[in-house]
Amino acid sequence: MRASLRDPRSQLLVSLVALILGVLVVVQIRSQAGDSGLAERSAQDLTLLVANLNTRNDQLRTEVSSLDRQLQALEVGGRNGTSSLNQIRDDLARIRAWAGLDPVAGRGVEITVSGAIDGLALEELINELRNSGSEAIAIEDVRVVAATVVGGGVGALSVDNTALSDRFVVRAIGNPESLVGSLTRVGGMVAQLAATYPDAAVSVEAIDRLVLPATKRDLTPSHGRPRL
Amino acid sequence: MTALAARVRAIPSWQVTLGFALLALGFLIAAQLRAEGPLVRYTTQERSPLVTTALALQTQQEQLKKQILDLRGQIKGVEDQGQGTTAQQRELNASLEGARIAAGLIPLTGTGIVFRLADSTHPVPPNGNPADYAVTARDIRTVMTELWLAGAEAIAVNGERVTATTGVLDIGGTILVNSAYLAPPYQVSAIGPTDMLDQLGKSQGWVAFIDTRRGHFGIDVSFAEPPTVEVPAFAGSLNLRESRAVPASPAP
Repeated sequence: MRASLRDPRSQLLVSLVALILGVLVVVQIRSQAGDSGLAERSAQDLTLLVANLNTRNDQLRTEVSSLDRQLQALEVGGRNGTSSLNQIRDDLARIRAWAGLDPVAGRGVEITVSGAIDGLALEELINELRNSGSEAIAIEDVRVVAATVVGGGVGALSVDNTALSDRFVVRAIGNPESLVGSLTRVGGMVAQLAATYPDAAVSVEAIDRLVLPATKRDLTPSHGRPRL
Repeated sequence: MTALAARVRAIPSWQVTLGFALLALGFLIAAQLRAEGPLVRYTTQERSPLVTTALALQTQQEQLKKQILDLRGQIKGVEDQGQGTTAQQRELNASLEGARIAAGLIPLTGTGIVFRLADSTHPVPPNGNPADYAVTARDIRTVMTELWLAGAEAIAVNGERVTATTGVLDIGGTILVNSAYLAPPYQVSAIGPTDMLDQLGKSQGWVAFIDTRRGHFGIDVSFAEPPTVEVPAFAGSLNLRESRAVPASPAP
């Protein structure tokens, strides 16, 4: 006796297989997209991630409060007919300082590198300073902005096409305790540099007042325009 | 042979279809079991709440970023209302707009290029390091550096605008930009001149990156040059707790 698709039992079997197939396809797709890969991370990595997200969210809340106060002050000034010029000037000074358009002063750290390292190592150091909460950074007299590029091999180091000697200073404004702690922790940037470049000496010093120059770059875009 | 061919031809087509469906079913069950393997192996009592917490914090972060952009928009609106009242105010507002653009606080649109980086699908050899086959923070920073060298004026990674204070961090295979968790694949959008791709092709650093990461480890690097590239505004904190602007020294 030959089975036929007209047989209700065969139709039931095919329907069942199709149903299971469909469910599994959906489950598979959802399991791939569900938690953006977080479920695959170790508990240690997740703890670090949560700490980073918490820190960032605290900063964002502070920014929200600050912007809220700024908006209220501007609105009160507008209602009372009092000049808001000073408030706008303060806003301008804050943004220019943050963008690197103006010199800035404040507490921070000075990192002195004596000995030849390469561009990748210096780029790692700048990235570490950014991740540790630096508000402004300069390599010698070059203010680091978004598009600043450090490069070159050992002995041919440069920042934004300005050559650096084998002894140079990186200055960063930010909480000195946090910056020193982050750079000099076990397995931190200073330890990594010492391990990779045993002939280079790296020292980190907390400084009460640093003055960093403004960038010499023109930060006005010529290919991009504000999106309305 | 002819008897065998005749027997194959005699199999009803629905049985062939069912056979293929069962094959696909088997494959999917195997894939599902494999996908669940690490979950079962690594799931501990403390991990699941951590994932939930991370996802909740991520959601909070998105809401806070939206609030910041809204507030900045409102502040700009109030400041612009005064525009035109005096020449001094007009000048200040123009300076403010310029500073916001330079700082990355205004979304930009223009010519450019978009790169997409995804983890390798190559099998990791027995003595290989799985981390080499995944996109790393170093890969993202290399692409950013090469784009700046090629003339990029503004860059965003998965919607996170790159600014003077942007760090790119690896935490166990997870990439954070501006301390925001980014889910793969990674999209690096850059606004700049139309010849950026040509410039990249001339860069030794870019060629070495492609040879090593794509050629050797199979990292998926693709690109598109849409008519316009959009780069969003920085939606983070202008953290200036320690810094004070130094007044410009008077001209001699």
